[in-house]
Amino acid sequence: MNKKQKFFDKFEDRFTNIIEKKERKRYYFNVKNKDIIEVADYLFNTMGCRLSICTATEVYDGLEVLYHFSDDSTGTIYNPRVKTSLENPEINSIVEVTKGAEWIEREMYDLFGIKFKGHPDPRKLLTINNPEFGEDDHPMRFKRDKNNRKK
Amino acid sequence: MSKCRIPLGPFHPLLEEAEFFDIKVEGETVVDIEMETGWMHRGHEKISETRSFTQSIYLVERICGICSTSHPFACVNAIEDIDNIQIPERAKYIRVLVGEVERIHSHLLWLGLAGHFIGYDTLWMWAWKYREPILKIAEMISGNRNHYGMMRVGGVGKDFDNELIPKIHPILDAVEKKMVMLSKAAKDDPVLKSRLKNVGILTKEDARDYCANGPTARASGLDMDVRRDDPTAYEVVDFNVITLPNGDVYDKLVARVLEIIESVKIIRQCLDAFSKVDGPVKTEVKEIPPGEGCGRYEAPRGEVFHYMRSDGTNRPIRHKVRAPSFSNIPTYKASCVGIPLADALITLAAVDPCYCCTERSIRTVDTNNNKIDTDLLNISRDKTQKIRKDFLKKAKTPVERIFEKS
Repeated sequence: MNKKQKFFDKFEDRFTNIIEKKERKRYYFNVKNKDIIEVADYLFNTMGCRLSICTATEVYDGLEVLYHFSDDSTGTIYNPRVKTSLENPEINSIVEVTKGAEWIEREMYDLFGIKFKGHPDPRKLLTINNPEFGEDDHPMRFKRDKNNRKK
Repeated sequence: MSKCRIPLGPFHPLLEEAEFFDIKVEGETVVDIEMETGWMHRGHEKISETRSFTQSIYLVERICGICSTSHPFACVNAIEDIDNIQIPERAKYIRVLVGEVERIHSHLLWLGLAGHFIGYDTLWMWAWKYREPILKIAEMISGNRNHYGMMRVGGVGKDFDNELIPKIHPILDAVEKKMVMLSKAAKDDPVLKSRLKNVGILTKEDARDYCANGPTARASGLDMDVRRDDPTAYEVVDFNVITLPNGDVYDKLVARVLEIIESVKIIRQCLDAFSKVDGPVKTEVKEIPPGEGCGRYEAPRGEVFHYMRSDGTNRPIRHKVRAPSFSNIPTYKASCVGIPLADALITLAAVDPCYCCTERSIRTVDTNNNKIDTDLLNISRDKTQKIRKDFLKKAKTPVERIFEKS
């Protein structure tokens, strides 16, 4: 049984919406917030993947963070996706698993306002020295009207 | 011993871009180092959401002047990944050719800068002298010394002219000869060895923990290269991945020199193939369906990662850009602590940091989400006028002073 099959079997009941792109070896799947540290730990330490980057995106019903774990021995990218709400967005930090997540979690807090629980240094990254941005300004968020529609 | 804090930047003669390092030292030894970012932030990710897919490629080309084909390469890979678009074989060779020309000139640029940083200006002048013919090759292929504008979704924008093959070969021969000489000189040169050996060591464990990539990781013994591991065009050529064990600045220098020699070999393979492989250079792509795609490419500094999400219109709804320096710069925490201050700068420079790539972008908007067009020249002139007026109100003009005396 190969590494990929073992991984999907182990977390079978906790993954939803699995999208497989077999030609290019890309796998996308949804993970609950409480499981992300365990999944990241398995990918990073047991399977030997490297955290390429995370992407935060604002979608119509909330915010989501997509982690891109790259398996350099096979060229595969595993993409766990964690969803959170628009009001008070909070996700568990994976800095304890890999220090490579430190800057990107700071950047996602800066641009999207997602708080990472357990981050050792939860400051802003890019707009920290910009006098025009306060602590509550997150420039990549959409402006929404009172019906929560994108302006 | 008491700690002393040395601020380095944001504007410093040794930093080629604006960046702030806060270095804490005890005596001469660095005990802690922090970095503040944000001076080069321009907002490309947000601007990209307002551009069509083809325009995004031109936009990301402007993120960085040195790796100006790495970002478009990864961007088109990401767009092609959404719909699994295959590109023609000749286009693959042209993409590889442009990418490798860029790798050689970027490594030579770093080599020159590294020589300049350690006060070895002969190396700087040599390296930049050899870089010039490589830029000429880029000009012959694409029409530009930089910002080639070659990448398109489904292939490349311009075909390679086979008449250029006999013109490029002698330049490559000359450059390869010089690079072999330089690699031998680096191995024998007592100045380089004593200055760079065992300086700023990044161990294999630290490199993995910080998710380092590119020559920074390969010089620490991590065997990874996106060109080999996840090829989208590089499966047509044959090359070796350079991996070195020590992780010090010297190994990073040697890794880059050896990579230049590998790149010359790859370009030769491409030139040999052009006379045999003929055909179209672009697949016609009518529309991008809804979906998401990850594209990556091994830039001279490491892995460039682009993520694109499409909703079926002609514009991406999310475009994430991650340059290699974003992962490589934080490794200074592992490599700089515990070494003398004089070695810290070359250690910082050894990852070949590119702050423009790291920070990318922000768009200035007013409260109604409209773009603010500010004319910097006019703001500057207005400010000068205002200062002059304020100054004149207080100070007396020379004419007034003459009348005052009399």
